[in-house]
Amino acid sequence: MVGETTFERVAKYAVVAAVSMIVLLPVYWMVNMSLKGKGEFAARPPTLVVQQPTTENYYDLLVTQRFYLKGINSIVVAVIAATLAVSIGTLGAYALSRFRLPRNLNYHLLFTMLTIRMFPPIVTVIPLFAFYNREILGFKLFDSWLGLGLVHGFMELPLVLWMMIGFFRDIPRDMEEAALVDGDSRLAVLRKIAIPLAAPGLAATFILVFIASWNEFLLALILTGSKAQTLPIAVAGQIAQYDVKWGNMMAAGVITTVPVLILALLSQRYLTRGLALGGVTG
Amino acid sequence: MASEAAVAERHATPAQIVPWWERNLAWLLVAPMIVMFVVFALLPSLTAILFAFSHIKLTRGGMQRTFIGVDNFQRALEDPIVRQSAGITLKWALVVTTVEILLGLGLALLLAHGVRGRGVFTSLLIIPIIMPPVAVSLMWFFMYEPNFGVINYLLNQVGLPSVLWLSDPNIALYAMMAVDVWQATPFAFLLLYAAILSLPRDPYEAAAIDGASRWHIFRTVTLPLLLPVLGVVVLLRLIDAARVFDKIFVMTRGGPGSSAYTTTLTVYVEAFNKYDFGYASAISFMFQVVLVIFGTIYVRRVMADYSAPAES
Repeated sequence: MVGETTFERVAKYAVVAAVSMIVLLPVYWMVNMSLKGKGEFAARPPTLVVQQPTTENYYDLLVTQRFYLKGINSIVVAVIAATLAVSIGTLGAYALSRFRLPRNLNYHLLFTMLTIRMFPPIVTVIPLFAFYNREILGFKLFDSWLGLGLVHGFMELPLVLWMMIGFFRDIPRDMEEAALVDGDSRLAVLRKIAIPLAAPGLAATFILVFIASWNEFLLALILTGSKAQTLPIAVAGQIAQYDVKWGNMMAAGVITTVPVLILALLSQRYLTRGLALGGVTG
Repeated sequence: MASEAAVAERHATPAQIVPWWERNLAWLLVAPMIVMFVVFALLPSLTAILFAFSHIKLTRGGMQRTFIGVDNFQRALEDPIVRQSAGITLKWALVVTTVEILLGLGLALLLAHGVRGRGVFTSLLIIPIIMPPVAVSLMWFFMYEPNFGVINYLLNQVGLPSVLWLSDPNIALYAMMAVDVWQATPFAFLLLYAAILSLPRDPYEAAAIDGASRWHIFRTVTLPLLLPVLGVVVLLRLIDAARVFDKIFVMTRGGPGSSAYTTTLTVYVEAFNKYDFGYASAISFMFQVVLVIFGTIYVRRVMADYSAPAES
């Protein structure tokens, strides 16, 4: 490659520093403000570092306004979605990467499933809303953990398929074929060889689906009411209030971000692979 | 099927019969996802088309549907709000995608020779990407706040007047685009950077021996090699940006007025504020047709190097 001049090296680090600041400062500001009490919040000029940190905003939001309930909703929905998407997607991915279906169905099936990623959810959500409001066996899917979990799980199937096909492809075929020759069934091979070997990828995929479900807004807004409402929807409601509690709002931002941040760190190694399918955004 | 031969072979002894579920294992494994597709994509899409040709009246405990032909579509094509929102959506998608790709690509090229602390830097950039859009929106909403938001405070400090970031109809849309750029540029950067780092070295060495200029190398070597990934990132950003909803909904509810109504917002308002499911479905159906065209190109690109398992 062509070498760098000193000027370029300096410029490079200046840009890296500037970009880091642009990324970090807003987040820092949110955390900073969330820890300020009412008096300090309104101070002019604003204190750059919180002087008397307090958890009152967090307490007010989580306990007094009972947002912890919304947090539980978010977690349960995300776990349902991730469990569903990962189990169904893994089976499908294994079939697509180990068997050859007739009529080039491997390609067409994967193609069709990946297009799910492109469906604007606003199209399907109207019929789903109507369907979810019907009682089936005395149970309505509207405003239920299962109802939202199912849709979120479905939305992330393309991500799971994409990730798992990649992981299964990395497993040496010889190992599986040796087991087949030894008399194991395909299912046993999947259970005893493929899944254990792909386990780290499986876990990362689970986390990515969890994050996507946790972050999702449109479907959660439409398909839940007050009972199964997820954290982002409840948090967004903070803005619409007549008397905006700014401190609470910043605390709400931090609370919705922290779990996702921790999970992302755990799965960072696999994040770029997931990004190719836009796994987490949108 | 590939494994059927193997399965048949090892069960060659006549006493053992391969159970039906093992013979059809491939189908059983793909069945759940096909069922999911039918229930959550195919049936709702077909229902949406049916809705689009109907007038729907919500009644207590159900709804009444009357077939009205193409009226909804006609109305949508003449509706100024629908036209306006199509324009806003297009503008939003083109502007944010262009800015994000240019910034992301520029940054990726700048760091192509490697940079110390690369791991920390890329980890840092994951923060905006994975942050819940709602949290991002609240964060910026507060910074944009005209009276005590930090942005106006800083402007005032250097002697500039305050700006009504989210309540001036000439500015709000662009202010919200900036939020999208903040969140998604790192996404474009990470994908492009990974692609640049994995480019083959030989063409560069050849070009260096030839004494080619930087710009020439970029145009004749880097860009062509990068084009497949670049295409995927551009399409993905276009598709995602075109259906933007959460940020605009949280920050201004599509306002001020209807100045930031994107198509998704218009459909949302028609369906869930005015409960006109038929009309909303007609608008969203036309929207879907456009997106599916781009979507199909994207999926084809992504699957370019996919190949089914070989017959063994």
